[in-house]
Amino acid sequence: MIRLEQVGVRVGRFALEDVTLEVPAGGYGLVIGPTGSGKTTLLEAIAGHTPLQRGRVMLRNEDLSRAAPERRRVGFVYQHYHLFPHLTVAENIGYGLGAAGRASEAAGRVRELSQMLGLTPILSRSVQGLSGGEQQRIALARALAPKPSILLLDEPFAAVDPATRRGLRRELRSLHEQEGITTLQVTHDFEDAMRLGDVVAVLAQGRIVQAGTPEAVFRYPNSAFVAEFIGTGTVLRGTVERVSEPDPGTGRFAARFATGSLVLEVVAEREGESYAVLRPADLTLSRTSGEGPAPRNRFLGRVTHIERETAVAQVHVTVEGTSLVAAVMATTAEELGLAPGVAVHVGVKATAIHLI
Amino acid sequence: MIRRGVPTPGTLAVWLLAAILVLFVVGPLARLLLHSSPSGLADALQDRELVTSIWLTVVTATAASILSLVLGVPLAYILARKRFPGHRVLSGIVELPVVVPHPVAGIALLLFLGRQSPIGSTLAELGLEVVNRVPGIVAGMLFVSAPLVVSAAREAFRSVDPKLERVARTLGDNGWQAFRKITLPLAGRGVLAGAVLGWARSVSEFGSIVILTYNPKVASVLIYDRFTLFGLPAAVPAAAILLLLALLVFLLVQFLAPDRADR
Repeated sequence: MIRLEQVGVRVGRFALEDVTLEVPAGGYGLVIGPTGSGKTTLLEAIAGHTPLQRGRVMLRNEDLSRAAPERRRVGFVYQHYHLFPHLTVAENIGYGLGAAGRASEAAGRVRELSQMLGLTPILSRSVQGLSGGEQQRIALARALAPKPSILLLDEPFAAVDPATRRGLRRELRSLHEQEGITTLQVTHDFEDAMRLGDVVAVLAQGRIVQAGTPEAVFRYPNSAFVAEFIGTGTVLRGTVERVSEPDPGTGRFAARFATGSLVLEVVAEREGESYAVLRPADLTLSRTSGEGPAPRNRFLGRVTHIERETAVAQVHVTVEGTSLVAAVMATTAEELGLAPGVAVHVGVKATAIHLI
Repeated sequence: MIRRGVPTPGTLAVWLLAAILVLFVVGPLARLLLHSSPSGLADALQDRELVTSIWLTVVTATAASILSLVLGVPLAYILARKRFPGHRVLSGIVELPVVVPHPVAGIALLLFLGRQSPIGSTLAELGLEVVNRVPGIVAGMLFVSAPLVVSAAREAFRSVDPKLERVARTLGDNGWQAFRKITLPLAGRGVLAGAVLGWARSVSEFGSIVILTYNPKVASVLIYDRFTLFGLPAAVPAAAILLLLALLVFLLVQFLAPDRADR
């Protein structure tokens, strides 16, 4: 278990403030945030490399806020691997066992991990000149060798190509399940969070601005910053105006959300200045106005461009000067004959619009 | 038409200026070596006073280098790794001896370590007489060579990413173990190159030593002594032997320099 209680850290002019976060034993937590938000500083504070100014770091239910790094028994993998350049692959992997006086276990554990991670053929080689993927696997094996109960990963996929990244993600998830290690990974890529995390926290300028399950954070971002950073969908700024009496049970009411050029029918909880988040998957596209059950909001727009992925196409449509993105199956996009310049009807349910 | 391989007048001028400086450095040294015949050098090696003086120079320079390492490596590590108020001032102080004229350094050390000073009298009471003794030679050498050792070691430590030490700490090493097993092996070559450079600087020191400890004579003082007493012919063989020793060390430094290391 990793629990941070109101942690405050200062490094030069940068400060982490009031960081509270918990990753349950055996869980996989992700902290996501833009460059310079304090992600690496946070991991270094947990590992004991950066002293706390305030708060507590609880690891395995033990307060280790003031403990030296070697007493915390955490595995740490940096973004740029930081393999020991004067040691071989095997010596790098076994380093932690030698340091802990468990040299006799080292050979067996190095063999086991190198088999797991496909490193056996290069065990006797120098770590210099290896590919990014190989170096990342070695760094991972080195961190796992002493069997830590906690693993800290600093952007482990940032410096590898997309194919290696997909492979490493699978291996990491499988290692996490096999070894049962409580893991905290920092990343700027929400896809990592969606694929790996049980818990996700969004860090911005040294503070956690939202935390929860990846699905909850993705579907219900609590600020325009979170929605835009994790790519929930199109974020529109506007004003909410009530058009019906609030429901006595939920307090919610039917309203109009006006951006200036676009007016959306929404279900709101409060009036005034607000942001509306339109998730691409919630937008429907059709070539004629009468197709299927009509949602409350229906606009005529024009396709500007299409980003084709393997199975899904992100269709960018301009409606009354506002740019919206809809995600449709690639085959659907083809069947509809969508292409830049084509007129298209965009629909979205009032209840699917998330107001912040 | 573009003519390839024909140097422009500008390029020629650059090469000419560079060649003049190289000649100015190499010329006198080559002249000194060529001036000494092999038989003259062989005779010089039979000169007991000269051999004793060179031996004294080597021993004291080695002692000064060891002291520079023992005292300088921790300081270099602190300067490379830590940020604290006064960091720049401390860095400047370490490099101060480089700009102090050597006779001035000798007089300053005489006042600091002489019997009249509290430190000098305390050392003398403890049986360590500095002025006009071998420790005076080591003190002069240490003063001029320590900045080289500290600078080289600081740069060597800076070249080792501190995150490597942090990884070692999370793998179970304490601070000293991480330093000994990771930082020192990676920075070692640079530190050693600095120590050898400091050793060579010690061997060449004259200005402060001649004031602190004229006798027993190190090689540089002996060469000066012979030149002033007996003229150029008496000084040349000793000077040539000291030059050969310096060249040997120069080659060693070239070999050890971190940019030559296989990385």
